[in-house]
Amino acid sequence: MTRLVCECMSPQEERLYDKIEGKEDKFRLTHPRVFKLLDRFDGQKPRIDIERALYFTQSMEQTDGQPIVLRWAKALKHIAENITVYVQEDQLLLGRAGCNGRYGILYPELDGDFLDIAVRELPTRETSPATITAEDAKRVIEEIAPYWKGKTFHEALNASLPPDVHKLTYDDPEGLISRFIVNETASFRSSIQWVHDYEKILKRGFNGIKKEAEEKLAALDPLSPIDNCEKKPFLEAIVIVCEAIVLWAKRHAVLAREMAAQENNPERKQELLRMAEHAEHVPGEPARNFYEACQSQWFTQMFSRLEQKTGTTISNGRMDQYLYPFYEKDMEAGKLTEEQAIELLECMWVGMAEFIDMYISPTGGAFNEGYAHWEAVTVGGQTPDGYDATNDLTHLILRSKREFPLHYPDLAARIHSCAPESYLWDVAETIKDGSGFPKLINDEEVVPLYVSKGATFAEAYDYAVSGCTEARMPNRDTYTSGGAYINFAAAIEMVLRNGRMQKYGDRVLGAETGDPCSFTEWEQFWDAYVEQHKLFLRAAFIQQYNINNLRAKHFAQPMGSAMHDLCMKHCIDLHQTHIPEGINFGYFEYMGFGTVVDSLSAIKKLVFEDKKLTMAQVIEAIDKNFEGYEDIHAMLKAAPCYGNNDPFADAIGKEIDKISVEFGHKYSEELGIHNDVRYVPFTSHVPFGKVVSATPNGRKCFTPLSDGSSASHGADVNGPTAVLLSNYRTKNHAMRDRAARMLNIKFTPKSLEGDQGTEKLVSFIRTFCDLKIWHVQFNVINRDTLIAAKKDPEKYRSLIVRIAGYSAYFVDLSPDLQDDLIARTEHAI
Amino acid sequence: MGVMEDKKTEGFVFNIQKCSVHDGPGIRTIVFLKGCPLSCRWCSNPESIHPEPDLAYNEGRCLTLAKCRRCLEACPRGAIQPSEEGCIYIDRNLCPGCDMPCAEACPSQALNVYGKRRSVDDVLRTVEQDAVFYARSTGGMTLSGGEPLLQIDFALALLREARRRRIHTAIETCGRVPWNNYEKTAPYINYYLYDIKHMNDDKHIEFTGASNKITLDNLRKLSALVPEKTILCRTPVVPGFNDNAEDIRAICEFIKPLANVHYELLPYHRLGTQKYIFLGRTPQMGDVQLDKSIIPKLLETAVGILGRERVVLLKK
Repeated sequence: MTRLVCECMSPQEERLYDKIEGKEDKFRLTHPRVFKLLDRFDGQKPRIDIERALYFTQSMEQTDGQPIVLRWAKALKHIAENITVYVQEDQLLLGRAGCNGRYGILYPELDGDFLDIAVRELPTRETSPATITAEDAKRVIEEIAPYWKGKTFHEALNASLPPDVHKLTYDDPEGLISRFIVNETASFRSSIQWVHDYEKILKRGFNGIKKEAEEKLAALDPLSPIDNCEKKPFLEAIVIVCEAIVLWAKRHAVLAREMAAQENNPERKQELLRMAEHAEHVPGEPARNFYEACQSQWFTQMFSRLEQKTGTTISNGRMDQYLYPFYEKDMEAGKLTEEQAIELLECMWVGMAEFIDMYISPTGGAFNEGYAHWEAVTVGGQTPDGYDATNDLTHLILRSKREFPLHYPDLAARIHSCAPESYLWDVAETIKDGSGFPKLINDEEVVPLYVSKGATFAEAYDYAVSGCTEARMPNRDTYTSGGAYINFAAAIEMVLRNGRMQKYGDRVLGAETGDPCSFTEWEQFWDAYVEQHKLFLRAAFIQQYNINNLRAKHFAQPMGSAMHDLCMKHCIDLHQTHIPEGINFGYFEYMGFGTVVDSLSAIKKLVFEDKKLTMAQVIEAIDKNFEGYEDIHAMLKAAPCYGNNDPFADAIGKEIDKISVEFGHKYSEELGIHNDVRYVPFTSHVPFGKVVSATPNGRKCFTPLSDGSSASHGADVNGPTAVLLSNYRTKNHAMRDRAARMLNIKFTPKSLEGDQGTEKLVSFIRTFCDLKIWHVQFNVINRDTLIAAKKDPEKYRSLIVRIAGYSAYFVDLSPDLQDDLIARTEHAI
Repeated sequence: MGVMEDKKTEGFVFNIQKCSVHDGPGIRTIVFLKGCPLSCRWCSNPESIHPEPDLAYNEGRCLTLAKCRRCLEACPRGAIQPSEEGCIYIDRNLCPGCDMPCAEACPSQALNVYGKRRSVDDVLRTVEQDAVFYARSTGGMTLSGGEPLLQIDFALALLREARRRRIHTAIETCGRVPWNNYEKTAPYINYYLYDIKHMNDDKHIEFTGASNKITLDNLRKLSALVPEKTILCRTPVVPGFNDNAEDIRAICEFIKPLANVHYELLPYHRLGTQKYIFLGRTPQMGDVQLDKSIIPKLLETAVGILGRERVVLLKK
């Protein structure tokens, strides 16, 4: 394709074409440092750095039998003392969790039981490939993996599941192969997405927290068994971990001073000395200026990546809020310029871009394709008082998002009814840039929902976006385990096949709801679906029950707990089953919403209402993957679909949602958590689709399911307004037992062209806010660009696309995911 | 006319398109009405021209007779016959007046009827679905076509009912309808999109099949009738017809004295070509394409005459 084909290109596309034509990036001149840093790892395949895993394992070998929180703290201290520290050329921030370039680290406490196998396969895996040196692979196999055999959370969970739940979870007795029906996700991340209260560190420093822990230790009742057995080890762990991060930071200071001594360039010498000075001070002590605040936050963030695998990497919280006082003070004092502030932020984005959230298990890799990362930086929203919170830093972060060439950080903009026009314009202009950022999260849905679930208004107004679409209140939330991903398209198949699936042969996996050809009324079909649906939910909740009990024995996060008010107050680690005063926001994932709604709609309309087809005809066509049944295929596809504001389809969608909401309402309490329905697939709608045969909505066998709360591919023919309205109409607003819904909408640059286009996008966003849609994100791209990129990946290496809640390099995605993206309806707003 | 009568009034609609951003202010729903007094060679909505329903056939979607013969069986007049390629041939002379059950029978929507009889209530219920978007964007309903004012009773009832429901209204008109139709509808229209294609009448007749006299006359009168409303005058820039500065200059000179008239250029596109084939007609423009490099120059000409604030310039 030539440049002339597209009538109008997004700025991102223009930059891409410039690159292909050999022109300089237009921001290279104004951001020389950052581009220098980026050039060093441009196009690099990520490397696995084993140091974290090695030192973690070494320490754990020494502490068997001790309380888990204490073991974890000691392991972190051991890491802090031994892990290689780096001072990168040209970087202004210190602190990384592994080698130079793009890298990932290992968490054998999660997957040590098959780490040796995985490490062998990793370099050649189709999804998310990475490299490891032969020497390091050998150390993993010989020095790390053996210790963990029989000790991992994954093995314990696998053993704990009753057979009827196990068969829906795993395909093999060892639990190494996912069934992709009711998947657990708790074993490939010790914490689902999480966000820290960074402000606490900026204001008090880890030394302040350490002091608090020491005072609490001194005040313990020496005769109390709880104080001795639970609180004491916890507080000791806090002291150790606070010391560990400070020690680690100071090792950077030493190195920076050494390098300064050898540095010939006087400018760089000064930079190194200044960096050393910062690392001597933070994160132990409170930050004194904007630069130090950034450094303190960065150390905290990076050390917490060493602490545990947080699903999708640790989020960054409300950066425009907690950094603002430092920014404002420095700006007023004339000590900081906007350009310096942007440079520092971008040094941080570079660090984020270098860290890969590595999923060693094939399942984890497939769940999060394209080096998925959601280190959500939140901007905008409201103050704890409920007033608009935007400030100069909000706009600066948005600007940096437009000028930084990579898809980092994952930027989330909070939207509320009184958001100022200037903010929304800036947000819209950034979206139009074409990388899909920021994603939008709606205060008008999140705040009342969280208050209804037990938060105070002040806490709810102060939520931070976390991970892909979640909202966290970092001193109130206390549930960090991954929830079940449930393939409800499989439930449709099981109705059609009386509890069986084509993929798994004659094995009865679901409920035997009878021969669907004998159903004479729609209600019989519907009841059969409900039975399968509830059976899946039952399995998910039993999984979660076991996970709740096991994780407290396997995981601890003393550093995360140090930053949590409730953990410190009650002297209890965040991974324990119940934190007093906490609210446990758990959730399970509804996979394939559009697929299921459209399938049920097609059956209801064509078989039971219009009687244009018989059930036997539908099943026959599905069995043949519609080959030779093109007429039936066409009829099924033409039935009312979700995503068109069609009352017929949307009514079915709302009923489906209701089954989940009511089940959650009834059984969450037994689990002691809110276990609510969520519609956020990451990229897992692709692997889940691979086990489901053709479906009655005309979807071909083993192709991707619909993603999140988005419509089936190409089914949303009435434009983006109808997509939002369908989302709105399928939600059970009366009940609080619901969580995030992810919604993707694609626009062509042409449709948003000029100020007029921006204005329309702003009003579209305001309506999104009015409709209380949880989340929306936009993909501003031409379809031709994607097709061309698929054909010629080398040329389009830097093409960023928004998919399923995050951005990734298009060429990092597998071919079928690329097709999936291309197949999505291109809305001509 | 009463509310009930308005709601029940019926007319031929060939499409209702939601979330449109290029036809009037804000986010809008466009209601396309059948029938047009012109037959412009470049028309991108050829299905709009006849006042009666048209049968369209998209062979690319046809499952072929080897797999489906439903339309043959459904046709009550024997108008559909097998073609040599294994698809179908339609004798359209037999179609007028038919309910076209073939389209209903077609599973793949290869056969489609452009133009369905719909009531005002039905149309507005669809339009009102997006009301929440109009509220934020000052959008609303745009009547388009064809020429929406050809079905004057239907258009009037739609506009009146929209006003009752407090929906902002715009109209996309070619200007060639009796002046009276503008007078009748003016109280219910908020915004006008008004096409001027050429100032030279011979050229106008040659390319559109009709004179421009009524159109030009009506614009002058309309500008005086609704001085408080915006009329966005639009010119499709068509290769070989008006893609030169002189023709655009002439149009701009004409509208210059009409203070409430703004101006926009619409570059010709070929997206409608396929629809001619679906309708069994021949696209009259062939493969010709507009040299888009001319547009900035034409815009410059327009701005030179009308001033920056009266010309729509998309790019910042």
